Amino acid sequence: MSGTRLRHPVAAALAVAGYVIMIVPIGFVVATAFTAGSTLRFPPEGLSLTWFGEAVAYSPFMEAVVSSLELAALATALALVLGVPVTLAVHRGRIPGRGLLEGLFLSPLVVPELVVGLALYQQLMIGLHLDNFTTLLLGHTALLLPYAVRVTGASLALADPALEEAARGLGASPVRAFFTVTLPMLRPGLVSAGLLGFVTSFNNVPLSLLLQTRDFRTLPVTMLDYVQQSYDPMVAAASTLVLAATVVVAVVAERTVGFAKIFGGINR
Amino acid sequence: MTTPAAELVGVTQRFGSFTAVDAVDLRIPRGRLTTLLGPSGCGKTTTLRMLAGYATPTSGRILIDGQDATRTPPEKRDLGMVFQSYALFPHLTVADNVAYGLTMRKVPAPERRRRAAEALELVGLGHLGDRRPKQLSGGQQQRVALARAVAVRPRLLLLDEPLSNLDARLRVQMRAEIRRIQSETGLTVVLVTHDQDEALEMSDEMVLMRAGKVVQSGAPRDVFPAPADRFVAEFLGYENFLTLADGREAAVRPEHLRVVTADAPLDGRVDDVVLDAVVRDVAYRGVDVLVTLDATDPAGTAVRLVADHRAEDETPAPSPGARVRLVAPRARLALLTPAAPAAAPATAPEGNR
Amino acid sequence: MRARSTLLLLLPGLAFLLVGFLLPAVAMLFAPPGVTFAQVIERMGAMLTDPYDLGIVWRTVRIGLVVTAVCVLLGFPIASLLARSRSRWAGVLLALAIFPLLLSNVVRTFGWLVVLGSNGVIGQLLTGLGLVEKAPQLLYTELAIVLGLVQLFLPLAVITCYSAVAQVDPGLEEAARGLGASRTRTFWSILVPLSLPGVVVAATLVFAGSVTAYTTPYLLGGSSQRMLSTQLFSYASVTVDWAAASATAVVMTVLVFLVSGISALVGRKGAVS
Repeated sequence: MSGTRLRHPVAAALAVAGYVIMIVPIGFVVATAFTAGSTLRFPPEGLSLTWFGEAVAYSPFMEAVVSSLELAALATALALVLGVPVTLAVHRGRIPGRGLLEGLFLSPLVVPELVVGLALYQQLMIGLHLDNFTTLLLGHTALLLPYAVRVTGASLALADPALEEAARGLGASPVRAFFTVTLPMLRPGLVSAGLLGFVTSFNNVPLSLLLQTRDFRTLPVTMLDYVQQSYDPMVAAASTLVLAATVVVAVVAERTVGFAKIFGGINR
Repeated sequence: MTTPAAELVGVTQRFGSFTAVDAVDLRIPRGRLTTLLGPSGCGKTTTLRMLAGYATPTSGRILIDGQDATRTPPEKRDLGMVFQSYALFPHLTVADNVAYGLTMRKVPAPERRRRAAEALELVGLGHLGDRRPKQLSGGQQQRVALARAVAVRPRLLLLDEPLSNLDARLRVQMRAEIRRIQSETGLTVVLVTHDQDEALEMSDEMVLMRAGKVVQSGAPRDVFPAPADRFVAEFLGYENFLTLADGREAAVRPEHLRVVTADAPLDGRVDDVVLDAVVRDVAYRGVDVLVTLDATDPAGTAVRLVADHRAEDETPAPSPGARVRLVAPRARLALLTPAAPAAAPATAPEGNR
Repeated sequence: MRARSTLLLLLPGLAFLLVGFLLPAVAMLFAPPGVTFAQVIERMGAMLTDPYDLGIVWRTVRIGLVVTAVCVLLGFPIASLLARSRSRWAGVLLALAIFPLLLSNVVRTFGWLVVLGSNGVIGQLLTGLGLVEKAPQLLYTELAIVLGLVQLFLPLAVITCYSAVAQVDPGLEEAARGLGASRTRTFWSILVPLSLPGVVVAATLVFAGSVTAYTTPYLLGGSSQRMLSTQLFSYASVTVDWAAASATAVVMTVLVFLVSGISALVGRKGAVS
């Protein structure tokens, strides 16, 4: 068929408009981050790295970065450790209501995250006096479980169950068969689910929003609050740093499993 | 001489450095069934796709009804195409599938319905118009695809390996079916296939292709007994090749090689080729016995030959190790032109009928 | 695998799911702190009659519908161009459309403050060209929210439509062309109907995302353009009205479920049998 040229002028115009809306505002964030002025004015007044220095020196941001990394890493690891056995049970176990069970583990995707956040805040933090880190970890892990179950499940579905049977036939115990045969086959799924989970947790606002305290705050919520209070380019600089880190993650994803496969493959 | 229904003039198609079709000249005679025959990758499907307008030749011209159509998009060519996968629209009923081309031609609804029904009737599926393609068997889908292409009364009906997805029995049945439709409608048909039996049985005209070139063309009755070169001969099922005393190469089919006892009297013509041979292997196949033999051909080269020994032959099948005599009747030898890379089309090897 | 070991594998995950999600969600509805279930129901009734609350519900639905329509309108052409292109650039453009999904919503939405703010790109452009005296109020409008949400959810629409288009056999489009359909005609009579189930999924995801998003209405809508999400936050953390917060949460969830249910029905009916 037509190869490279855009086929219909209307379709081409809509596509261009779409890309402008998706990409251009991000470009302006980067542009304003390098301003020498003190307002979010465009075009920027002069060129400097001042605001990057400010952002890095601003301790609430830096503490929040550490908190967010810690939370995302722990929640992702927990979701995988809990999710892989669930995947095995769902795909390999002989249990009634398998579809229902899988649906149950995917259910955190269908309830609005803000609503889940409200529920955890009310019931766990206020009701049971859990500290906010524990509550956040519980909430984020529950939120990432669907990703872990679905993405590793897709890997497992591709693997032939006869391989495990062959390993058993060759003398491996069930546990041995799992670690020597099943787990290696799940590797791409684990990497995908891990990256997806980490990024989802790190960027989360709605679930984390109500679960913030002075002692433990996540980065996106801290940035959100800062923007609301002061209208200076420091957040643009912080955003640009986040953007740079995200590009690194994307490149790592591309090198390992394939970027589009991980982030484009999930249809809730 | 009438204008051919379609004509390719020096058509070449290159994909990067790969030449799929190489300077092909071809005339598609009106009202006949022409097959493009060849192994996969020989350029037959690319040729068909250029004829249909799905690919534009890198160079050369395509004429349809004598008019240049090289750059005409498919929807303006007024052709009917049956795809290997059938390409039936899954969201439309069978009747709507068949009527699709008529809708595009702005045929009024009543006439459209009538003609779609006619076309379905022609392929014997008049009662299935309300079904969806997925509810039909493979053979029925194939007929719907045929009806859809025929309904628009195309200038050319193009069939891309139309039978390759059917089981063996259905395939044989559909050959006759397509021939019947062709003769009832008088359409010009171009059919692509890699199956020589299919081509032999169905064609008025067959065109053999290899490596993007036409190697030989003509009526099956002319081509089959006289393959132009070793490639065509192998493709048409000649399994035995030997060099004659005068240095020319000849091909002979297993069923034309007679195995007789070493001391049997020679009752054939003087110019029959007679070879001494040793039986290597004997494979019983029910109606016949396949005998593999080692022999020395008239030019003195060691050759391995296969003979098809009929059960009804007077002589019993020999056993491995036996010394026998092989007789290849002169009339059954197909003399080959030395394997020229691109033999001119339809050059009949001289007098060996 | 025996039933007992299967259960053992499920148990830890199930426990986390219950504590971290299911039980709190149910408890929030039936027993917010110091409030009874009846009070939540009563507050819900009030929400659906009170003009102010109803206005917020309506604005949320309206924005959700507009964003969904725009995302499909822009996303489907992108997806179909990319899925049918054989150019090397198609892969790059696809990656460019997916990349924003990885990027923090706060960062992406912040861009619009730069674009739409009073000293922003558009304002400066309009006043600089002498087209207007004073930069128009763009921020804290429904338009700003719509733009922000379209940016947020367009990648999702593109990817979902892309997989829908990619699984339509290009041979069908060739067949249609061969039968006399123009490119445009082929697009509407073959590609669109066949990828419709995927488009319905895309629309559902975008709608559900738009009516529950928080960052965008918070930053770009401010307090004048409240949506259900920003209202919920304010009930929960500013006025600490648990009954109202729970009621809002229920309305929001029901809205999402309702639309998902309808689209599942449409999808099933529209799917090729």
